[in-house]
Amino acid sequence: MFGQGLLKGLAITWKELFTRKVTVQYPEEKLPLPERYHGRFELDVDKCIACGLCANACPNKVIQITKEKVGKKQYLTKYVMRIEYCLFCGLCVESCNKDALKFSHVINMNQYYRDKVRLVLVDRPAPEALPEEEPAEPDAERPAAARARSARAEVAAGKAPGKEG
Amino acid sequence: MKTQTYVLNMGPQHPSTHGVFRIILELDGEVVVKATSVPGYLHRGIEKLAEARTYTQVIPYTDRMDYLASMLMNWGYVAAVEKLMGIEVPERAEYIRVIVGELSRIASHLVAVGTYSVDIGGFTGFLYCFRDRERVLDLLEMVSGSRMTFSYFRIGGVADDLPPEFFPPLEKFLKDLPSLCDEYDGLITGNEIFQARTKYVGIITPEMGINYSLTGPVLRGSGIPYDLRKVRPYGVYDRFDFEVPVGKNGDCFDRFVCRIKEIRQSARIIQQAIEGLPEGPIMAKMPKVIKPPAGEAYAEIESSKGVLGCYVVSDGSPKPYRVHFRRPSFINLGYLDELLVGWKIADVIAILGSLDIVLGEVDC
Repeated sequence: MFGQGLLKGLAITWKELFTRKVTVQYPEEKLPLPERYHGRFELDVDKCIACGLCANACPNKVIQITKEKVGKKQYLTKYVMRIEYCLFCGLCVESCNKDALKFSHVINMNQYYRDKVRLVLVDRPAPEALPEEEPAEPDAERPAAARARSARAEVAAGKAPGKEG
Repeated sequence: MKTQTYVLNMGPQHPSTHGVFRIILELDGEVVVKATSVPGYLHRGIEKLAEARTYTQVIPYTDRMDYLASMLMNWGYVAAVEKLMGIEVPERAEYIRVIVGELSRIASHLVAVGTYSVDIGGFTGFLYCFRDRERVLDLLEMVSGSRMTFSYFRIGGVADDLPPEFFPPLEKFLKDLPSLCDEYDGLITGNEIFQARTKYVGIITPEMGINYSLTGPVLRGSGIPYDLRKVRPYGVYDRFDFEVPVGKNGDCFDRFVCRIKEIRQSARIIQQAIEGLPEGPIMAKMPKVIKPPAGEAYAEIESSKGVLGCYVVSDGSPKPYRVHFRRPSFINLGYLDELLVGWKIADVIAILGSLDIVLGEVDC
């Protein structure tokens, strides 16, 4: 009989009325992101040894590192990601031997201006000298690192300061 | 009375071209006299970009070719580099590749089926397919961290092991999949209006299919059971039991039905791969810097659109001398100009949709 297929299709859509909905009201309701989600980057400054492996692994030269020699060690002074060119492929995170660079679950990275997109993970002056063999942070470094961390927390809370992306 | 043909421009911004693709149609009334396809609007020069990158850094770019089945694009590239370097991929990695690759194929075919339904004018079918595609993307997101551009394959294996939370939803999805396919069949395939629009439209004869080196569901719709996974198995595909669905008439309808049948077969393969998933490493022993010996290699895999070939030339440096891709969408599109002649304007949409092209892959 002609039209049987149409009726069968209608029966399927009719059945859908009695099933659970699959959509969520997005801004109010959010689905949990999986563990490995490629969101915004986080850098654990204390773990980072400024080796530059992440910058080398990047296919698009997104990561720009500035470091200074303090005493015998390399000291990371600036870690900037030109996130507008980032593919979020994860090669940089994979290349990090010290587990310092990581993905977070922050997904709202959009900005109104292009220069605001740039992600500054570390921007601090190099200290005069690093205290030898001390687990605690040097005094000169602590405020800067803490500032960077609190700035990240602010961004996560949705209050992005102008400087960060 | 004197009549004359006229030229109608279709695209590059047209929803049914699934991207930016242009066809210049010369029409006699409603009938196509001549069709000229103009690809190239999405060309990014991935071949050229690859020259300035290391072998591993090319992987994210392969994602951006067929962005609906990125895993398979990754696979084609890494297979070629592995062939060039003579690397044996660990068994577990091969199985993981099969699982994620077939999931990617399902996602790609779901887009093909859904958008074809929209092209023909049935919006409902589209929603059902995309609802289920989301489940596949959620699964792949758990594995790779991204929803579409996965960059999950690595030369010599895969980036990460499958997470334990991946398996329960996968099992559930595979259990649901046959009934979901029945839904698509009931909604789209069985619909008389859909059949009237697609049956005996845009017929590709087996001879022409072979002459134009069409591959994938486009060729199989014409009744030729040519599937690389079967005729020239790569990886561990020779261990799985599955069928190669073929069509009979080679029309749009057969090509469409082939895809739904392939979804069912992919589910079978994944089920077998989960059951046979061995323990072991997921990466082969790789040198720190990937530096293949000077030479060249060509490897092929069966992507969702057809045979994806990758040709890699090495000059012994850490960067590839040349990377070239044989993109199935592009080759399948080569027959379009001839195929469209003699059909009406409305059929142009039906025929183009049935080829299931992705412009990222066509233009590369």
